[in-house]
Amino acid sequence: MLAMDQGVVEEWLSEFKTLPDSAITTYAASLKDKGALVPALYKVIRENYSDLLEPVCHQLFEFYRSGVPQLQRFTLQFLPELLWSLLSASTARDPHTSGCIEALLLGIYNLEIVDKDGQSKVLSFTVPSLSKPSVYHEPSAIGSIALTEGALANHGLSRVVYSGPHLQRETFTAQNRFEVLTFLLLCYNAALSYVTSTSLQSLCQLSSRVCICGYPRQQMRRYKGISTRLMVTSEFLVQLITGIHYALCNGEVELGSKALDDVLYRAQLELFPEALLVGNAIKSSLHSAALKSNNKEGGRSIQVEITPTASRISRNAVTSLSIRGHRWKRHDAVDLGSPDELMDISEVDEGVWPGGLGPDMTPPTITISNSTTTLNLGAKAMKKCRLGGRSSKDKEAGPLITGRAASENTELSIKRLTLTSSQSVPKGGALTSLTRTASAVFSRSFEHVASSNPAPASNHTASEAGHYSCSLQEEGMGYRSPVPNHTQRSPSISLHLGSDL
Amino acid sequence: MTARKSGSRLETEIERCRSESQWDKIPELVRQLSAKLISNDDLGELLLGECKLQTYLKENPIKPGSSPRGPRPKLVEVRKHLIAALDRGNLKPDYLQEASLLMAKLCYVEGEYKDALGHYNKVNLEDLQLVGAPVYRLSMIAEAYSTKGLCLEKVPAASPALSNKNTGSPASNRNATERDQEIITCYEKSGDIALLYLQEAEKALSAGIQNRSPKPGPTTQDMELGYFLETGLQRAHVIHFKNGNLTQGVGRFREILRAVETRTTQNLRMTIARQLAEILLRGMCEQSYWSPLEDPPTVSPLDNPTQQGHTYSKNYTLSRRPRVYSGENLFCPQENTEEALLLLLISESMANRDAVLSRIPEHNNDRIISLQSASVVYDLLTIALGRRGQYEMLSECLERAMKFAFEEFHLWYQLALSLMAAGKSARAVKVLKECIRLKPEDPTIPLLAVKLCIGPLHWLDEGENFAKMVIDMGEKAAEFRAKGYLAIGLVYSLKATDASLRSMQEEYQRKALGAFQRAQSLTPTDHLAAFYLALQLAVSRQIPEALGYVRQALQLQGDDVHSLHLLALLLSAQKHYHDALNIIEMALSEYPENFNLLYTKVKLEAMCRGPEEALLTCKHMLQIWKSFYNLTNPSDSGRGSSLLDRAIADRRQLNAMTLPDFSDPETGSVHATSIAASRVEQALSEVASSLQSSAPKHGPLHPWMTLAQIWLHAAEVYIGMSKPAEATACTQEAANLFPTSHNVLYMRGQIAELKGNMDEAKRWYEEALSINPTHVKTMQRLGLILHQLQRYSLSEKVLRDAVQVNSTAHDVWNSLGEVLQAQGNAAAATECFLTALELEASSPILPFTIIPRAL
Repeated sequence: MLAMDQGVVEEWLSEFKTLPDSAITTYAASLKDKGALVPALYKVIRENYSDLLEPVCHQLFEFYRSGVPQLQRFTLQFLPELLWSLLSASTARDPHTSGCIEALLLGIYNLEIVDKDGQSKVLSFTVPSLSKPSVYHEPSAIGSIALTEGALANHGLSRVVYSGPHLQRETFTAQNRFEVLTFLLLCYNAALSYVTSTSLQSLCQLSSRVCICGYPRQQMRRYKGISTRLMVTSEFLVQLITGIHYALCNGEVELGSKALDDVLYRAQLELFPEALLVGNAIKSSLHSAALKSNNKEGGRSIQVEITPTASRISRNAVTSLSIRGHRWKRHDAVDLGSPDELMDISEVDEGVWPGGLGPDMTPPTITISNSTTTLNLGAKAMKKCRLGGRSSKDKEAGPLITGRAASENTELSIKRLTLTSSQSVPKGGALTSLTRTASAVFSRSFEHVASSNPAPASNHTASEAGHYSCSLQEEGMGYRSPVPNHTQRSPSISLHLGSDL
Repeated sequence: MTARKSGSRLETEIERCRSESQWDKIPELVRQLSAKLISNDDLGELLLGECKLQTYLKENPIKPGSSPRGPRPKLVEVRKHLIAALDRGNLKPDYLQEASLLMAKLCYVEGEYKDALGHYNKVNLEDLQLVGAPVYRLSMIAEAYSTKGLCLEKVPAASPALSNKNTGSPASNRNATERDQEIITCYEKSGDIALLYLQEAEKALSAGIQNRSPKPGPTTQDMELGYFLETGLQRAHVIHFKNGNLTQGVGRFREILRAVETRTTQNLRMTIARQLAEILLRGMCEQSYWSPLEDPPTVSPLDNPTQQGHTYSKNYTLSRRPRVYSGENLFCPQENTEEALLLLLISESMANRDAVLSRIPEHNNDRIISLQSASVVYDLLTIALGRRGQYEMLSECLERAMKFAFEEFHLWYQLALSLMAAGKSARAVKVLKECIRLKPEDPTIPLLAVKLCIGPLHWLDEGENFAKMVIDMGEKAAEFRAKGYLAIGLVYSLKATDASLRSMQEEYQRKALGAFQRAQSLTPTDHLAAFYLALQLAVSRQIPEALGYVRQALQLQGDDVHSLHLLALLLSAQKHYHDALNIIEMALSEYPENFNLLYTKVKLEAMCRGPEEALLTCKHMLQIWKSFYNLTNPSDSGRGSSLLDRAIADRRQLNAMTLPDFSDPETGSVHATSIAASRVEQALSEVASSLQSSAPKHGPLHPWMTLAQIWLHAAEVYIGMSKPAEATACTQEAANLFPTSHNVLYMRGQIAELKGNMDEAKRWYEEALSINPTHVKTMQRLGLILHQLQRYSLSEKVLRDAVQVNSTAHDVWNSLGEVLQAQGNAAAATECFLTALELEASSPILPFTIIPRAL
C-alpha cells in the first residue's frame, strides 16, 4: 500500500471524527469529490492484513449508522468487496483477519432488519392484478383472457412479504451466513442506482469468484486466489444476478456477462431452479435486445427507438383474439376443430373455430396422435355426439355459395372423410388399442354421415362436415382438455346419431 | 350516395370523412359541394389538396430516418390546390389556418424545412383552439406540432436568425438548450393532442356506428397513425433517453400510458409498457424510484450528469388534455417491481391476445413476431417475480405462455423451472420430460428431474430413468457425469432403504456403493461424492471405510453439516460417544438451529453425561423452536407466552392447516414402507429420529412436527430416567399435536411398560402398528411383551417381520434369539445372538438414515 493512499485514508478517518453533527450533511455531499479516497479504501479492504482495516470498518459502520443516505450509500458501495473478503477468509478459517469485516456486515444487517421503532422489519410489496383498475388500465378493456382461474382466485390486490422478519445476529455461523449475506445484497440492490461503476465491477468479480472457485472453470477464468469451493444458496445467487443484471445494463457489459455465465454455470451444477430461471430470463432478454441495437454507445444501454404502432401481425392470421368471438355451444362429446387450433384448446376449453379459415374450406383432417390416455367416450357422450355442419348462411362464406355448390362441397368433404378414416382406422397396428377404439368410434360416425347425408330425407341444403380433429394428448398434462369437446355451429342441421349407437 | 345532400349534412359528411381518413370519398363530396355555392370553391381546393396529400403519403409512407427528396409531380398538384385555396383569401379563418398547416406539411414532405417553419410561424400554433375543434382538426394540430419539431431538428441550430456566431459561448449554449426545449415541447404537445384526437375519433366512431346502424362503412378497419402522429407520440421520450435524461423519459412514458387507451394506441401502449418495465428493472432501484403520481426527484442518479445542460422542464399547458384513467381506488404502484409487474401484466395480456395460433407456413413470420414479443414480456416477468421470490405466480404466468410454446425450448424450460421453484414437483417433472425431448443433449434437465424424483416426489423408478439418461451421455455430459452417478447412487440407496426383501436391499446397496464410488473417482474434489460414499458405507456398516471418506469430505468442505453429523454417528458406532458429542457440539456452533443435530445431541448426552444434561438440551430446543417460529409468524405473538399454551391454543388451527398441507402430493413426500399410514402420520414418522427415515428434509420442516418431535425426545429421556409421570406429560404434548402418530402411541406403550402395565403396553403397541405396520421399534417391543406373555410363536413371527424390515436392528436380533432360545431352538438362537452382537458393535446411536439424502 502506498504511503499516499495511507495518508488519504488516515485523513478521512480523522476528519469525520472531528466533524460536528451540523456539518454532516455538507460533509456527505462533499464525499464524492475525494477522488483518491475510494480506490484507497478498496485497497485497504483487499489487503486483509492492513492495520487500517479495523478503523476503516469502524468508520464505515459509523457512516451507516448515521442514517444520512449519502453516507449509507458510501458504505454500501464497498459491500461486494467486503463480502468477498469475508467469504474468502471463511474458507481459510482464519478468524482474525475477517473479524472487523464480520462486525461491520453484521452491524449493517442488524440495523437494516429493524425499522425506526426497533420492530422487526417486514419487506412486502403489492402484487398488481389486472382485475383491479390502476393508473394504467381498466379491467374491462383487458378482456376475459387475462382473468384466468389463477387471477380470479386471488382477486384483488394481495400484499406479499418477500423478506423478513429476520433474527438479530451476533456472529456469523455456517448456518446463518448466507441468510445474512442475502439480505445485505438485497439492501445493496435497493440502492443500485447510486453505486459507482467500480462497485458494480467488484460485484461482478465477487459473483464470478464465488461461483467458480474450486470448479474446473476456475482455470478457464485464470483466477488464482482460493481454490476451495464455496457453498452458496439459490436465493443468494438470485440476489447476485439482480445486481449483475443492473451492471450489464449500465456499462459493465463484459464483466457482467462473464459473471452471469459463471452464476448460471454454478446454478446448473447445484441444480438451483430459482437462479436458473432468473438467469436464463436475463440472458434471453438481453440477447433479443442485443439483436435490435448493435451500436454500442457504452454507458447506459437503455435505448428506445420509434417503433411502428401498427400491428405487425397480418390480419388474416388466427390469433387468440380473432377466435375469441367464435363460440359454439358446448356438448360433452367429441371435439371438432382443425389441427391448427390444437394449441388453442389449451387456453379456453370451449370449442373454438378459426375465424380466418372460413372461406378457404380447408379439407377435413383427422389427426390422432399416438397416446396412452384413456379417452373417455362414454355412452352418454356418444349419444350426444353430433356432427356439426356449417350453415350456408355463414358470414364468411356469404350468400355466394348456392345450395348446389354447397352440396358439392359436402360430397367432397365426405369423400375426404371416408378416405381419411379408412387410412387411419384399419391399419391401427401402430396405434394403441385405445386410439384404435377412438378411431373406430370416429369411423363409425363418419360412415353415418356418408350414408345418411345423400338421402333426400335430410333437409340440409348445405351441410358440410367440418374439420375434425381429435387431440389425444399424452398423460393429460392439463393444457389441453383431455375430454374432447364436440363443437357445433348450427344446431338446426346437426345430425343425431344417438339411436344408432 | 347518389342523393344530393343538404348543405349542413354535406359538411358533416365531409367532416366525418376527414376524421376517419376516408380520403377516397372526398373528391365526390367536393363535387357536390361546389355545386352548392361559389364560395365553396376555395374550400374545395383545400379539401382536394388535403386528400391528395394524404393519399400520396399513404402510398409513399415516410420512413423514419430517411429524409424526403425534392418535389414530385403528384405533390405539385397538391401545391396547386393549396395555393388556389390560400390565394383568394375567401376562406373562413379556420379553413385558412388549415390550408397553411397543410402547406407547411407539404413543404416538409418536399424537404423545404425552413419554408415549413415559416408557415408555422405565420399560423402561430399556440393560437389554434383545441376546445370545440372538430375531431379531424385535432389530428391536424397534432401533426403540425410534430412536423414543426421535425423541421426544428433538421434546420441547424445556428440559423441566420440567431446572430450569435461564436459557438461554445454560454449564450449559444443557452440557445441550443432553448432550442432543444422547444423541440421536445413540440413533440410532447403533439403527442398529447394526438392521444386526445384518437380518443375523440374513437368516441365519434362508436357514436356513428350507433346512429347509422346498417351502414357498411370500414368501421372494422383500424385507423393508422401515420408518420407524423407516430413521431409526435414517441419522439419526445426517444430524445429524453438519448440525452440520458431517464427521469423525463420515464415521466413521458407514464403520461402516455395513463391516457385511456384506444384501439389505435394498443400496440404503442404494449411497446411502451414493455420499455418502461425494462427501464424499471434494468435502470432503477427501490431507492431511486418515484411513484407515477409523485413529482420526480429534482436530482436523480438516473440522469446522465454529463448532460446536465439538457435538463428539461415541462412548461406548457394545453386547454384540453387526453382523458386519463381515473376513479376511486385506482391502484398506483409504490415500488419499481410493482410498477414493472403491472406494466408487464398489461403487456402480457396484449401479447397473449396476439398469439398467432395457426401453424400454416404462410403465417410463419407472424408466429415468430408474436412469439418474440411475448417471450420478451415473459422474460421480464420472470426477472421481476424471481427477484421477489413469487414463483407460484410466475408459474401461473408462464403457463399462459404455453400457447406460444410449441417446440420452443426456452418457454418450456422456464415453465419447468418455475414449477420446480413453486414446489409443483409432479408437474415440473412432466414438463422437464418435454424439455428433454426438445434438448436431449443437456444433462442439467434430467438431473433437475432426478432431484425432484428423489426429493419431494420419491418416484424412485422415474428417478432411475432420468439418472441413466445422464450416464448414457457419457463424456458429453462433462462435469455433470459425476452428478449423474451421484444421482443414480442416491436412487439405489433410497430403494435399498425401501426394499422389504433382504436380497433386494443388498443388491441396491451394492449398486449404490458402485455408483458413489464412480462419482467419487470422477470428481475427487466434490465433497458430496465423498460424503454419500461414506454414508452408504456407513449404512452397510463398513464403519472404518466410511470414516475415511467422511474425513475426505470434511477436508473438501469443512463446515458441511451432514458430513459432521455423519462423522459423529460413525464415532458413536465405534462407541466413542464423547468424541461424537464433541463433534456434534462443534457442528452446533456452526449450525445452532439444526434440530437434527440437536436430536443426536440429546441421545449422546443421555449416554455420556446423564439425562439431566439431555433434558437441558430439550429445553434449549424448545427455546430455539419458539424464537424461530415466533418470529416468522408475527401474527401469533399475541398469544399465551408459554409454549404449552401456544401448542394447545393452536391445535384447532393446526388441524385445519396441517392436513391439506400433507395430503397434497406435491409437498408431502412418500415413504414406500408406510404408504398405508396416513399422510400426517407419515410426515411425522419421517422426522421422528426413532424411525429409519429415508425422506430427505426439504426446506424448513413443518414447525409443529418439529415441536412434537422435541416433546417425544424429552419423553424418551424421562423414560430413561424412569419417570413415567413426566414422560406421560411430554407425550401428551406431542399427542395434542398429532394424536394418531405411531410414535406417540409407541411412546405411550413404553410408558405403560415402565409402569409395569404389560396389557396396556401391548394395546398401545398394537395400535401403533395398525398405523404403521413396519415400525421396527414397536415390533421389537411387542415381540418382547409377547415373549413375556409366553406366546412364543407369535412373538417370533413379529420379530422375524421386524428383521425383514430392518436387518441391522441388533436389539431385534437379540429379542429373536431370546424367543428362539425359549422355544428350545438353541442353534438358531445362538446365530441370532451372534448377529446381534456383531451388529451392536457397529450400531450408531441413531440410524445413519436420519441424514437426508438429496441431490
